[in-house]
Amino acid sequence: MIDEKILVWRFNRGSKDALRRIYEKYKDDLLALALTLLRDRSMAEDVVHDVFVAFAAGTGAFRLSGTLNGYLSTCVANCARDRNRLKAGRNAGLDGAEAVACGFDGPLESAARREESGRLNNLLAHLPYEQREVLVLHLQHQMRFREIARSLGVSINTVQSRYRYGLDKLRSVFNSTVTE
Amino acid sequence: MKSTEDMEKFVADAKPHVTTGESMDKRVLQDSFAAMDEKCRVGLAPPSLIGGLKPTLRFAKLAVAAAVIIAIGVFLTRDRQEPSQPAPPQPAVQAPTAMLSMMSLRTTYQRGGWDALDRQFRDTLDQFGPVASGLSMRQLLEGPNGS
Repeated sequence: MIDEKILVWRFNRGSKDALRRIYEKYKDDLLALALTLLRDRSMAEDVVHDVFVAFAAGTGAFRLSGTLNGYLSTCVANCARDRNRLKAGRNAGLDGAEAVACGFDGPLESAARREESGRLNNLLAHLPYEQREVLVLHLQHQMRFREIARSLGVSINTVQSRYRYGLDKLRSVFNSTVTE
Repeated sequence: MKSTEDMEKFVADAKPHVTTGESMDKRVLQDSFAAMDEKCRVGLAPPSLIGGLKPTLRFAKLAVAAAVIIAIGVFLTRDRQEPSQPAPPQPAVQAPTAMLSMMSLRTTYQRGGWDALDRQFRDTLDQFGPVASGLSMRQLLEGPNGS
C-alpha cells in the first residue's frame, strides 16, 4: 500500500519510471479483465492502452482514494462497457470465446487450466454483460460490492442482485451443460 | 451439480492468465509517455506534500466539536478551583546595597504596607547585623536621586 502511494506520488511528479512500474505491475491483470469482459484480444488490448494513456494524461492531479488496482480495474471495466456498447450490433457469439482461449500466452500454462478458463468464458458468454462484469470484478479482481457500485454508479443492492442472478444463471448453465 | 460456493470458487480459480505482448507494451508506454509529456508541457501543478488533506466539511465539524469540548472543560475547571491564597509579598529588592534605599522602602510600603516594611527591616538586620558595616549613607540613599 505504501509502495503504491509512493509510486502515485512520483507519478504525480511526472516520473516516467513510476508510470512504467505501475504498467508493469498491473498490465496482465488488466488485460485479463478486459479479455474476460470483451472476449476479444485486440479490443482488450485497445482498452488497456486507452486506460493507461488517459491515466498518464492525468499526471499531477491524480488522487488515489482506494487501491490502485481497484481504480485501474474500474477504468478498464468502464472502458470495456463503452466498447461493448459499440459492438452491441455485432453478435460476438462463440467465436469470441475462441479468441479468448487463443489469447493465453506462455507455454508453461497447463492445458487443463486453459481448458477451464475457456470453459468459464463460454459459460460467461451466456450472461448479460452487467452480470458478467460484477461476477468478474468481485470474484477475479477481489473488488468489494461497495467499490463496484461506486465505480458503476449504481446502488450496492443492484450490484448484489446482479451478482446473485449472474451466479444462479451461471450455475444453471453449467449444470445443463454437464447433464447434456 | 455445483453449489453456489463451488461456482464462486470455479470462477475465481478460472481467472485467465494472460501476458501482454512486447509490441503492446511498447505501444502503450510510448503513447502514455507522450500523453504525460504533453500534460507536463501544458503545466503540471505539483501536488502538495500533504495532498488530499483538504479542509472538508468533516474536518470543520471535528474542529468545532473539539473547540466546544475544550471551552467547556476550561469553564468547569475554572469554577472548581479553590480561591487561591494571596501570595506572600516579596521584598522589593534583593541586593543588600539597595535594601534600605528610599526607593526600595517606598516600593515595599506600597506593596505590603507597614508589615512589609517591618519585614524588610528585619531581613536587613539579619544580613548586615546591628551595624551596617561598609554601607555608607550615600549608598543607602542612592536611588531617590537617580544616581
